Amino acid sequence: MNIVVCCKSVPGLVMDLKIAADGKSLQYQGQLLAINECDEYALEEALVLKKAQGGQITAISMGSIKSQDVLYYALAKGADKAVRVDCDNHDPRVASAALAAALKKLQFDLVLTGTQARDTLSGQVGIAAASQLGLPFAYAVVGVDVMDDGTIKARKELGGGRYADVELQLPALLCIQTGIQPLTFVPPARRIRARQQPVSSYSLADLGLQGNQLAAEGYRIVAVKPPERTHQVELLQGSALDIADALLNKIQESR
Amino acid sequence: MAGDILVLVEHVDGKIDSITFQLLAAGRHLADHLEVNLVALATGHQLNGVSTALQGHGMDKIVLVESPALGLAAGEVQARVIAQVARPMEPRFVLVGYSLAGMELTPAIAVHLGMNALTNCVNVKLENGAVIVTRPIFDSTVHAHVALDDNDSAVIALQKGSFTAIEPSAKQAAIESVSVDVASIPARSRVLAISEEPAGDVDITKAEIVVSVGRGIGTEEKISVIAELAEALGGVLACSRPVVDVGWLPRERQVGASGRTVTPKVYVACGISGAIQHLTGMRDSHRIIAINKDPNAPIFGVAHIGVVGDLFEIVPALTKAAREAKAESK
Repeated sequence: MNIVVCCKSVPGLVMDLKIAADGKSLQYQGQLLAINECDEYALEEALVLKKAQGGQITAISMGSIKSQDVLYYALAKGADKAVRVDCDNHDPRVASAALAAALKKLQFDLVLTGTQARDTLSGQVGIAAASQLGLPFAYAVVGVDVMDDGTIKARKELGGGRYADVELQLPALLCIQTGIQPLTFVPPARRIRARQQPVSSYSLADLGLQGNQLAAEGYRIVAVKPPERTHQVELLQGSALDIADALLNKIQESR
Repeated sequence: MAGDILVLVEHVDGKIDSITFQLLAAGRHLADHLEVNLVALATGHQLNGVSTALQGHGMDKIVLVESPALGLAAGEVQARVIAQVARPMEPRFVLVGYSLAGMELTPAIAVHLGMNALTNCVNVKLENGAVIVTRPIFDSTVHAHVALDDNDSAVIALQKGSFTAIEPSAKQAAIESVSVDVASIPARSRVLAISEEPAGDVDITKAEIVVSVGRGIGTEEKISVIAELAEALGGVLACSRPVVDVGWLPRERQVGASGRTVTPKVYVACGISGAIQHLTGMRDSHRIIAINKDPNAPIFGVAHIGVVGDLFEIVPALTKAAREAKAESK
């Protein structure tokens, strides 16, 4: 089974997130990009499926040359091939068009993504690309069984402890829920070796995308602000003992 | 009519999810200001009960799409049915609940309607003639304010708890039934069965005091610090999603969008930053106490009482105080 795993490159540990002077964008020193954690679970599931079924895993990421690091990480984890789409647009419509176009150039039975990216929190690109390509899809998948007849059975979360078992004909796209497999550690030596492997890249022109397919339009970002608080939280201060006594009083008067 | 506001009704076993009434409140606000109609769209099998329960909740019209094939339809089929019915209505906005079902359907509906989708939204309101949508980004630490101008239409997926349902009125909405030939929609997936997770050893939704632990705890061994507090307070131990993902606590302890929704008398959040998926599952608790070392953690946006500090100092002190109080009262 050939699997494509979408590994979004997102800013790694950011300790200095600030709202920029224009009030519409964010500033941080995040030179290092890391794999989006939700997508890392998709990669782990792909590795488990490959172990059982054989086939190849292709890791794909979108972004500037900086996102190559994320692909090397995926290769170190066990992906066989890596593809970068040279597109730095975070708009879900543009990104899903680029992903759909890139998928058309790849051989696959299954596409795995995470549920959302930690930076944009949009959670759209996977299913939007599947819808453009006419692939069946399922979101928040917690279990995957490969059947003998060219289908897979996916268990997806419905919330509140409910699940649906869905049968999907291949090729299909699954948004993998976090926690489906434990995250594995990659020894540094493998990460260094992975950097010797080739990464192919597509420009947006290579993918045949142009004009308004590449423009985020139909909305304007007017501001980025700290969350508005609907009520004022009462902050307790003092020694741990004082705080503990105050908290216990509050708890006892509430029960 | 062109320009109307369309709300997708979410229902399970004939029962309407509370998110729908919140969407109708948001939709009513928009429809009043934009002077258009608010339409509720329900798809499924046997919708009589759903239609009756919707009445009086603010919409001008109810559109029902009924078919036995929609009882257990896969996401791709539901999205196509909704788009097929919505397209000729030319709605300005389609409001969807950002539930797990909504997260699956929203991108597909947007593609089929050729609209932008704004997901994970916590507010939508009219401001100086533009519709302003607020959505948390970057681990929910900041909110982006997005303006939609006169000609912009969009699918807007709203988080639960963003709006308060309006008081039901006697106003009866017109009901229109639309038939869709579901069998003619190409489907490459189907739902085989729906199952319910067997209840574990504890039902966190029934507890009066819930003490919840997040990834901020650091290591598995330290969960016992929080478990001791839960025990001393006579409450139950719960957690946020990352704690379950790494296998430190079982799934039935998880609070949040994909776990359980709890509304205890007291909710104590220890080392939980407050991702929106978590807040969805606990924000209606009567008294929320948050202990976190980051003063900017989103959890303080919903907490009533907050402590900015080291939970390994605060929690053991609170456990000790609770134990002493219990011993005294005996």
